[in-house]
Amino acid sequence: MSMRKVAVVGAGMTKFVRRALETGKELSWQASSMALQSCEMTMDDVEAVCLGTAPDAFDGVHMNGEYLSDGAGAWRKPYMRSYVGGGTGVFVPIQGWYHVASGLFDVVLVVAEEKMSSYYPHAQGAFLTIFDHTTERALKPNLLWIFALEMNRYMQTYGISKEDIAQVAVKNKRNAADHPSALLGDPNITVEDVLNSEVLAWPVNRLDVSPVSDGAVAIVLAAEHVAKRITDKPVWIEGVGWNLDTAYWTNRDLAYPRYVEYAARMAYDMAGIKEPRKQINIVEPYDPFDYKELHHMEGLLLADRGEAPQMVADGVTQRDGDMPVCPSGGLLGVGNPIAAAGLMKIAELFWQLRGEAGNRQVPGQPTRGLAQAWGDLMQVGTVVIMGR
Amino acid sequence: MTYLEREPAAPKAWQDEMQVTNRYTYGVAGERFFRAIKDESKILGTRCNNCEHTYVPASLFCERCLDHLDEWIDVGTTGEIVTFTHLYVDYDGSPLLEPETIAFIKFGDGGIIHRIESNESQQIEIGMSARAVFKSKTERAGSILDILHFELMTS
Repeated sequence: MSMRKVAVVGAGMTKFVRRALETGKELSWQASSMALQSCEMTMDDVEAVCLGTAPDAFDGVHMNGEYLSDGAGAWRKPYMRSYVGGGTGVFVPIQGWYHVASGLFDVVLVVAEEKMSSYYPHAQGAFLTIFDHTTERALKPNLLWIFALEMNRYMQTYGISKEDIAQVAVKNKRNAADHPSALLGDPNITVEDVLNSEVLAWPVNRLDVSPVSDGAVAIVLAAEHVAKRITDKPVWIEGVGWNLDTAYWTNRDLAYPRYVEYAARMAYDMAGIKEPRKQINIVEPYDPFDYKELHHMEGLLLADRGEAPQMVADGVTQRDGDMPVCPSGGLLGVGNPIAAAGLMKIAELFWQLRGEAGNRQVPGQPTRGLAQAWGDLMQVGTVVIMGR
Repeated sequence: MTYLEREPAAPKAWQDEMQVTNRYTYGVAGERFFRAIKDESKILGTRCNNCEHTYVPASLFCERCLDHLDEWIDVGTTGEIVTFTHLYVDYDGSPLLEPETIAFIKFGDGGIIHRIESNESQQIEIGMSARAVFKSKTERAGSILDILHFELMTS
């Protein structure tokens, strides 16, 4: 299979906020226009547009891809929305990647948006609509349920405590204090703050969870010959992977995300990575809840099973540690406008690998990073590996 | 009774409701567009001079070149009927007591979709002019329904 090299050449993001005045279209436009300006390109240069947004229910517009299309620059261009739930933000750049890698297009704008505040009174209510209508919905499930059940299983399987897990929330919210777009950065937060926050669905407390947010992120992808003309610092997409497990949650292993492992293996193979723990310098795993960062580090084969909490305790995953994890501040700190939060991780790797991450910059001139998201019915893994 | 409920051969079904309530922000452009309707009985558009295109309803940005739009234009309250339909049934198949006429009325390079009220002597035709009839100011809520309907202009 011959595929062309694809680079990220520009990125832009709005602030992540609790409730934006801007409509979803306006948020998409802000991010798109910032991404284009960052690489001095215009819509005339863009040949196709890929858009990612999670359940239509958040924005409250069915066929949200079509609704957002004008803000995403899709006018009279080949345009496609992809959707794999929470995994969307790291899937939509994969979709953009194959648009370019295949040779179909030289320049593709990739946009991800979510305006979760439209759902009233709380975005959790939207999740009621994703479950089986006869077997589960009568119990009024929401995502806190799912995470609580999975987190408890993960803790029990490996003997992990809530304190171990709370360290992740502390690290990410502290990291986010350096992110100009962040909603929940806090340089002084402690493990006690997390443990003492309100219990939502045991073992999940309020500060174990990322906030509901509005926001948008966009990146520009270009084929090699175009990328080299536009910038002397292209960041290459070296590997991509995605994988689904059974959609029925009683039929899968809740302590270990096998589907994330398979997605990672696909991406590692493509990128020619044999020893991911040595060859990946920065990791942006999906962290909508603090234990998920640990769960995903294990699925990505970057930690042994049940051992990810030890890496956090040892400081390995701090911004200046041996393997910085969520130097952006992640979903826990920057915010979680679902699809936009995933693409934010791609934008973070772009800035980090170019040495443009400002106060968030990981030291030591990192050369390769991995971003991952997770979603659908809690059983999809999406992975992108980027390098310079 | 909806069409499906009237169907005697339909399979047994589980009944459920999805409670969906939304609270939408108007957006940056929407705030100004709907305030102009509510407070000033005006319909506003925004102009992109790059693309020579006037957006109605007003947009914060040009969808063609993604430029920020800040030239606001009062496009008046009378536009031209581009197309129309007469409605006889509701969305669930129930007959409407009174048929309704819906039209696309052109303003700038865009337009507004709204109801048409006409008296019996007036026959609606594509190309006719129609004028916005607003609710009284005290009844307006910042909604597209602050425009009660459009009325046909007989020249």
